[in-house]
Amino acid sequence: MKLFLLIARNVRRSYVRSGLTVLGTMVLVFVMTLVWSILAFLGDAMAEKSSNFKAIVTERWQIPSQMPFAYADSLSQGAATKPDDVRPTDSMTWQFYGGTTEKGTRTRENTVFAFGMQPSKINTMMDDLDSLPAKEAAELQAVIDKLESNRQGLILGRDRLAALKKQVGDRITLYGINYKDIDLEFEIVGTVPAGRYDNNAFFNRDYLLAAIDQYNDKHTDPHPLTEKSLNLVWLRVPDAETLRKVTAQIDSSSDYTNPQVKCETQSSGISAFMEAYSGLIWAMKYVLSPVIFVTLALVIATAISIAVRERRTELAVMKVLGFRPWQLLLLVLGEATLLGLIGGGLSAAATYVVVNIVMGGLKFQIGFFAAFFIPAAAIGWGLALGGGAALLGSVMPAFAARSVKVAEVFSKVA
Amino acid sequence: MPAKPIVRVKNVHKFFTRGSERLDVLNGLSLDVAEGEFLGLMGPSGSGKTTLLNLIAGLDRPSSGEVLIGNDRVSAMSEGQLASWRTRSVGFIFQFYHLLPVLSAYENVELPLLLLPLSSSERKKQVTTALELVGLTDRMKHRPGQLSGGQQQRVGIARAIVTDPLLIVADEPTGDLDARSADEILDLLGELRQALKKTILLVTHDPRAAQRADRVLHLDKGRLVEAAEVVG
Repeated sequence: MKLFLLIARNVRRSYVRSGLTVLGTMVLVFVMTLVWSILAFLGDAMAEKSSNFKAIVTERWQIPSQMPFAYADSLSQGAATKPDDVRPTDSMTWQFYGGTTEKGTRTRENTVFAFGMQPSKINTMMDDLDSLPAKEAAELQAVIDKLESNRQGLILGRDRLAALKKQVGDRITLYGINYKDIDLEFEIVGTVPAGRYDNNAFFNRDYLLAAIDQYNDKHTDPHPLTEKSLNLVWLRVPDAETLRKVTAQIDSSSDYTNPQVKCETQSSGISAFMEAYSGLIWAMKYVLSPVIFVTLALVIATAISIAVRERRTELAVMKVLGFRPWQLLLLVLGEATLLGLIGGGLSAAATYVVVNIVMGGLKFQIGFFAAFFIPAAAIGWGLALGGGAALLGSVMPAFAARSVKVAEVFSKVA
Repeated sequence: MPAKPIVRVKNVHKFFTRGSERLDVLNGLSLDVAEGEFLGLMGPSGSGKTTLLNLIAGLDRPSSGEVLIGNDRVSAMSEGQLASWRTRSVGFIFQFYHLLPVLSAYENVELPLLLLPLSSSERKKQVTTALELVGLTDRMKHRPGQLSGGQQQRVGIARAIVTDPLLIVADEPTGDLDARSADEILDLLGELRQALKKTILLVTHDPRAAQRADRVLHLDKGRLVEAAEVVG
């Protein structure tokens, strides 16, 4: 306790140096918190769940998956045909439609990536949207009702709406990117709650199917994506045993031979999809994170080394008074660790508040994840990272303090 | 001079090496200091005064020979034993005071007591007594930067006596003070010596300071060259 008070007083000795050390720690912990939050989110998404999980049905041999829409109904039932076959508790289909608001010109601002699906599934099957607080859930239900009643409705994420410089009620035309020559006219009927879908859009799948039919009626050759418009089917199953049975039903069905399909857990599906980003994720884990940690330790080591050098006489006096070398070692380690803990804790807490509450998530597109949030555990990461790096960085200066030779110091003073 | 020696330095040699060069600082020096004696050590720079003080105070070890303080063989102690011994047995007064700038006068005086198994109330009693003895009870909450040089040295003296040590060593305690403050500090040392019956070793270049001692020893090139009884 007495030593801690001395540590606290020494930290207050130079507000500028302590402040700069804390600031440096905060900046690096901020970057590290963002990186780790993304990694933790992806890790969680790719981790196997034990119950109430989702399975994905995709084309077996090709990415991106492109299946005929004729698969949709039976796959949504888990290929159940007999009375005793197992059925999923819920399901949804995804049909991706990318378009721009200006024909022939594609920019970050004018591009919309939209999920074509059954409106009623938006708030029962979409991650996060299926577990909203009551007020937000009611608001979303009202928007979904509009989409049910207006086949040309479009629900936009808030950032996308802002990027397009549009408002709810406006009408827009999207010129197809993947569905070449199939342009869709929409009325914006609402927005999704702030979060991971801020840059996405949702529309009624029936509108896309009708547009494909209309194209085929007007052209001699069918649209190239006519038999490839179903991208994913999602199934909700209560447990692993049900999933195993559903997978067996789909695998043994003769209805899905051209192309063949596969059924896997959401985490496996996401892992396979994220394989394309494995290099980026590897670099974040094994290059960026260690570099930040070492930089942080060096920043703290420099500041503490200067402090120890300036205080050699004082440390010598403490030795003269009877302080043991290990007590001086602890004093220096304690000062550095205290600064690291303050900087790390403050930074992680501030990052949590700013990213989650002020910014509504970190907008960083990886695969179909558009926004990331800082988990509450990040406060613990910040403390551990700041404290750990400070402890590591202060080992050498602490040993220098421990080894101060009293006679040498005073011969120089005199 | 009282007969019973409390400091015994027996045939002490001390040398340092710089590269391949050997520097002999003390050459077979022997010295006894009686309990309650006020001893002055004088000599030119490099004569070995501070080295001798460091050996007696347990801050350094002799290359050969023995240093005994009371019943403790200081020259044979480990670094850890020396640290503990210093806290209990020696009070230091420095030329440049060397107070910790982040601590108040009270906290600076309390610092060596933190290393002893004392309760908070015991520490408070001892610190208050020490500050009363040096006449600084009204400045106990001041930081060193808020005190004059003379006041800082008084705090340094209070820190030196707060553990009730056997021996007080003072290395040029008036060297950084004006004449008036120096006299006040020397008066205070004299009063403390009378009141507490402490043994005091004073290293100084100042003949006026040396005059306050019972006995003055002169060192030159690591040897005692002269001893003089000083009256008063």
